[in-house]
Amino acid sequence: MTTASPVVEIRDLSKHYGEFVALDKLSLSLNRGSILGFIGPNGAGKTTTIRILVGLSRPTSGSATIGGADCVRDIAKVRRLVGYMPDKFGSYDNMRVREYLDFFGAAFGITRSVRRKRIDEVLELTNAVWMQDRYVESLSHGMQQRVGIARTLLHEPEVLILDEPANGLDPEARIEMREILLRLAGEGRTLIVTSHILPELSRICDQVAIVAGGRLRAMGSLPEVTRQLSQRRTIEVQLLNATGIEATGNLIRGLLSEDSDVTVSETEATIRCRTSADDEKLGEILKSLVTSGVPVGQFREIAGDLEEAFVTAAREAEAERLTAGAQEVSR
Amino acid sequence: MNGVMVILGRELLAMLRSARVLGILLAVAIASSVLVLLKWPSTSITDLDGTRGRDVFRWVTWAMFTAAVLVVPVFPSTLLVREVRRRTLELLLNSPLSRSSIYFGKVLAMLGFVVLLLASTIPAVACGYLMGGLSLQEDIARMYGMMLVICLQLIVIGLLVGTWTRSTESALRWSYGVTFFLMIVPWFPDALFPGGTSPLARGLQVLKLISPIPAILQMLNQNSLSGTGLMESRDAVVWYLSFAGAFLTVGTLTCISRLSHALLDQSRSQGYITDDQDGWVRASRRILYLVDPQKRSKGIPPLVNPVMVKEFQCRQFGRMHWLLRLVAGCAVLSLLLTLASARGSETRGVEYTGALIIVLQVSLIVLLTPGLAAGMIAGEIEGGSWNLLRATPMGPGRILFGKLTSVIITLALLLCATLPGYAVIMFIKPILKPQVQQVLVCLTASAILSMLISAVTSSFCRATAIATTVAYGVLISLFGGTLLVWVNRNAPFGHDLVENVLRLNPMAAALNAIEADGFTDYNLLPSAWWIAGVSSVLLLVLLYSRTLVLTRPD
Repeated sequence: MTTASPVVEIRDLSKHYGEFVALDKLSLSLNRGSILGFIGPNGAGKTTTIRILVGLSRPTSGSATIGGADCVRDIAKVRRLVGYMPDKFGSYDNMRVREYLDFFGAAFGITRSVRRKRIDEVLELTNAVWMQDRYVESLSHGMQQRVGIARTLLHEPEVLILDEPANGLDPEARIEMREILLRLAGEGRTLIVTSHILPELSRICDQVAIVAGGRLRAMGSLPEVTRQLSQRRTIEVQLLNATGIEATGNLIRGLLSEDSDVTVSETEATIRCRTSADDEKLGEILKSLVTSGVPVGQFREIAGDLEEAFVTAAREAEAERLTAGAQEVSR
Repeated sequence: MNGVMVILGRELLAMLRSARVLGILLAVAIASSVLVLLKWPSTSITDLDGTRGRDVFRWVTWAMFTAAVLVVPVFPSTLLVREVRRRTLELLLNSPLSRSSIYFGKVLAMLGFVVLLLASTIPAVACGYLMGGLSLQEDIARMYGMMLVICLQLIVIGLLVGTWTRSTESALRWSYGVTFFLMIVPWFPDALFPGGTSPLARGLQVLKLISPIPAILQMLNQNSLSGTGLMESRDAVVWYLSFAGAFLTVGTLTCISRLSHALLDQSRSQGYITDDQDGWVRASRRILYLVDPQKRSKGIPPLVNPVMVKEFQCRQFGRMHWLLRLVAGCAVLSLLLTLASARGSETRGVEYTGALIIVLQVSLIVLLTPGLAAGMIAGEIEGGSWNLLRATPMGPGRILFGKLTSVIITLALLLCATLPGYAVIMFIKPILKPQVQQVLVCLTASAILSMLISAVTSSFCRATAIATTVAYGVLISLFGGTLLVWVNRNAPFGHDLVENVLRLNPMAAALNAIEADGFTDYNLLPSAWWIAGVSSVLLLVLLYSRTLVLTRPD
């Protein structure tokens, strides 16, 4: 599904608010049909990046293009290419859902007959047909999120930028939201999704970008990102039986460096190691186990999770901030 | 009692910490002091009968009343709405505090602010007292007591409105509306249908006493503004205090009874639509409403500005069925004004009636326009929908055009309502036709200026409540404040200064055109039109540039 042509390209994007650096030379590119999970701690620069992409904010330096259109110079073209859903719904009083969508459709210059058809389609796609006659301000948060997505889809944008679409949703609504997003990606649209619900993102995103302190810390597929950011890897050694498992555990402890953690589970006949050892070292350990006659059933690395990568990136940014602060004080 | 003190402490401290409150208190103190300076003796002739002292006291009293009517409704009306929206009322109701403690705590906190507001006029009143002719107990203490009662009434109105409305903007609009209808409007019918012993005339004379204005006039020993002999026959103070007492009792009981979880327990609208109902329901609703508000919309027609349609749809009374009601209401108002014109011309001349119609019409424009225009940009920014508008391909010109058109149409309906009244004036006195035409131009200028001032205010604010309050302040200063200079036309202000100041006020120009009493000495037209026209163009340019800035990337 993912084709090679990049649809979103960001080059050395910086945004300064006086002395405060919200974005520091951020660069990334995204191919057509991808779902990018754009994550980072609060104040990391996610929303700033998104606002620049949709033409609501001007970068201090650097460039951003969507579908070849520059986000500063070709704002009109960018607005037609992008469907933007901010974290705040943007409700109007006394307006029904259908009227709300009709207004935004008309604002995008869609003719009335086409608009009617499109409203039916987007309501269908977001499972929101039943709420078309309700007043928007009376909708629950989950309903508003669906209407928000329907609104972004009205003008058939190539790229969807969704700021915290799963925020505040109950588990059932979250599952529905996930299905909607996957369906949209299935239609060939490119999605940029920010969220703090990391397990949710890891299920739908084929690309992850982690920003912290205004800088891109890691980007790539989920395993790539966790590998980039995780300082220690988790190795699981599954034995055929638990006989002598404690001795095997001690053997592994002796072979690994002191900062490694080794835990032994007799009931599962499994030994788990958290280590910073490289592939060569792990190969040596496996060889030692086999030559020692240990009945090794499996020797595998368990993929690190997004949460761990996120925390590492946030800590890195915090450490940088503290160092910069200390240098400032010493000066 | 402890509960009352808890709420009182919290509310009063929160108010006193606000820089806005400090600004209001300073503004009132400065305004009342300026009034004293205007009336300060400039000659060495000694005033033995205390006329000057009484004169100062009168002006400071009216300044107090104006400040109370303008400032006091803002705080209680938005207080409950904010508590409901921030869910802090839920916490209060779930605490051991009783509903009456919460209510009286809030009322006392507001009264605390009122005391400070009234205290800021003490230096000005003291100056009047030093000039002589005033009794501390009979005049000053009684007047402050009367002001406290008026403010208490305004506080209860605000809190009551707060239990019914859902947004701060709507709370402000309704509070000012109810204040206007209770404090100012009762005085108008008697002024329009003066004298008489018919049951209608008697009824109107009693209705007038609902307003505190006749009571204040009586306490100040001033002639009634309408010049009728009402005060001789009725004690306006006793009548007003009786009404205020009854209002406060009923208002307090209603407010306490409404101050419950029911305020927070609102079910979500199920989206009732007539299209899904039986044929007879559809038919009956069509007859009842003419334009059924529950009918599924066919969508925004081609070539129509979507922002204009959206503005009408979002406005509480902007839907077509409400606009029809507005037209019908305006038609009734028009008929009443026509009747008043015919009746008034018999006793006081058409110029007097024309002047009253102008004042009433401009009052309505000033009352309604901030509600229509002050939220046009501030409301969108506050609600988060401005970014959505910015993310559409619509330019600032199109957005602005749609928003302004929706206000202009509503104001035009209001202005058209009074045309028959003027028609009667022209019928009775055909020679006034050119003047009436000039008046209509002045009223149109008033409406456009009010709309643009409110809209520009909106473009500088990020909250509708602030924009609405500021817009009311600016409009009242323009239409009412300039008249203060006119009132002091003999001293200390000279003819030229008064004329120049009145040129800023299109309502004064209209009064000048209709040759209302006191305005005939000035030559305000066409310079007032030029000033209003140029100001409107400048405001429009400013509004456009602000909208441009707000739609551009940050």
